[in-house]
Amino acid sequence: MRKHSFRSSIAPAAAIAVAWLLVSVHVAGQEGGGANRWANPVAGCPPISREFYPCAKAKAQAFNPRRNPDGTPDMNGAWNAGTATGSQNIEDYAGDAFLGPSRSLIVDPANGKVPYLPQWATKKQDNFAHYIDPIGSCYLTGVPRQVFAPRGQAFIQSPGVFAILSEFAHLYRTIPTDNSPHIGDSLRLYMGDSRGRWEGNTLVVDTTNLTDRTWLTISGHFHSDALHVTERFTLIDADTILYETTLVDPKVFTQPWTMAMPLMRMEKGHEVWEEPCFEADRDLPYMLLEHKIWLGLDPPK
Amino acid sequence: MRLAAAAALLALIALPAAAQTTAPRGALPRTSDGKPDLNGVWEVLSTAAWDLQDHPARLGVPAGQGVVEGNEIPYQPWALVKKQENFKNRETADPEANCRLLGVPRMMYTPYPFQIVQSPAYVAIFHEYVHTTRSIFMNSDHPPGDIEWFTGDSRGRWEGDTLVVDVKHFTDQTWLDRAGNFHSEALHLVERFTLITPDHIQYDVTLEDPEVFTRPWKISLILYRRKETNVRVLEYECYAYTHEEQVRRGELGPK
Repeated sequence: MRKHSFRSSIAPAAAIAVAWLLVSVHVAGQEGGGANRWANPVAGCPPISREFYPCAKAKAQAFNPRRNPDGTPDMNGAWNAGTATGSQNIEDYAGDAFLGPSRSLIVDPANGKVPYLPQWATKKQDNFAHYIDPIGSCYLTGVPRQVFAPRGQAFIQSPGVFAILSEFAHLYRTIPTDNSPHIGDSLRLYMGDSRGRWEGNTLVVDTTNLTDRTWLTISGHFHSDALHVTERFTLIDADTILYETTLVDPKVFTQPWTMAMPLMRMEKGHEVWEEPCFEADRDLPYMLLEHKIWLGLDPPK
Repeated sequence: MRLAAAAALLALIALPAAAQTTAPRGALPRTSDGKPDLNGVWEVLSTAAWDLQDHPARLGVPAGQGVVEGNEIPYQPWALVKKQENFKNRETADPEANCRLLGVPRMMYTPYPFQIVQSPAYVAIFHEYVHTTRSIFMNSDHPPGDIEWFTGDSRGRWEGDTLVVDVKHFTDQTWLDRAGNFHSEALHLVERFTLITPDHIQYDVTLEDPEVFTRPWKISLILYRRKETNVRVLEYECYAYTHEEQVRRGELGPK
């Protein structure tokens, strides 16, 4: 049984290793390890994002999903971004002593890389070398990392609202689907302000009001507080959602860029249970021996 | 269980006339499966967060009328001593002072808004305070075993128009209020959510903990719907703000 203190048993070690271990425990524990995640087709499509994407788009066209009483596609249940690496990385990566191998989730641009502006070319490496991944400090993941962060997530639908509850750090998103406007621009939230609408069978979520306090991966991919995220959730069969997300951030990226991946339905009856993070944390002091708390690209003075 | 039902009925009868007459029963909003619709953003208007019992004002604390039936929390003698110690040490010992999850039922009357998202199989409660989430799984059993969760394990069912939630599998690391009232990991709750008008939920809880109390006891509150058209549950990331202050002061990070 999962006890609240499961994070407390990790022995002091090199801070970077601890930071990685924390998340690798999650990743290995629930999402299968190594290259196995890319071994099998998903919904009859190749699992790797650049091949999965066109195949899934075609399937989405042909699939008529089960519906809720209000007519929206029924996505209630527990889901897992099974071909992602629990957000260790989002680009192709061979793997090293700390980070596992990954296959790029990026479908645009075609080179599968995050299109950083030249002045940010080395910032990702600097982040990884000198800062604690914000989710290692138990901060909220931000958007879109929430969807492919470690562990599973429950979707709960009710008329006018689409809710997501992540197992990791008990974080959540409530996404109004009632045509309501975003909150005021000066209000900034780790998880931003998400508003949804249905375009045919696709839930389209627009997220603004984000901060620069969150990262995209354990490996240090980042963004600024100008980040604007669009996500699209489309069932392509009863047990698979095509998830697409486009990130626009003119302070950091040269162009909008897009990730795509399958969300796979977890085993029948899976319940997303409480997983404390900060509440049970004993590791931060060790991580802080060599790494700093991330307070954004432009930290407060 | 029968006792709790009777108590809820009594509580309803005892409500001020205004609350009873604002909406005839048929006027309650309902979900597509015919249940009272609890969807929305809610918050208490109560001083229960400071002290569940009657208490006079002191610096920074408004006076308040208690929410405990009979105003008595039936502590075992040792536990009453412990509660008094907690009160003395509350500035550092209160889990809230350390940004921890506050547990159930304390979350429900902590003065931050929360959103209920209701579906037939799953009722979720999302709180602003340190993104506390609670999953109420409907018509199912508690998982077996030695489990300790800050927010416990919640299993719900509808008894007529009342959502009845059975909660167990707690830790002993949460308190019941800022006055040091507490419980052990043996805490067992029966919560009853009854929509009494479209904008008010009668919230009654029976608390049972044979390690700390001499008998089950009850609290009763009203949850109010936040009616602002743009209302949104925002974030209060207590520990992240604490870290930020510590970094600013040079107290947190590599030397």
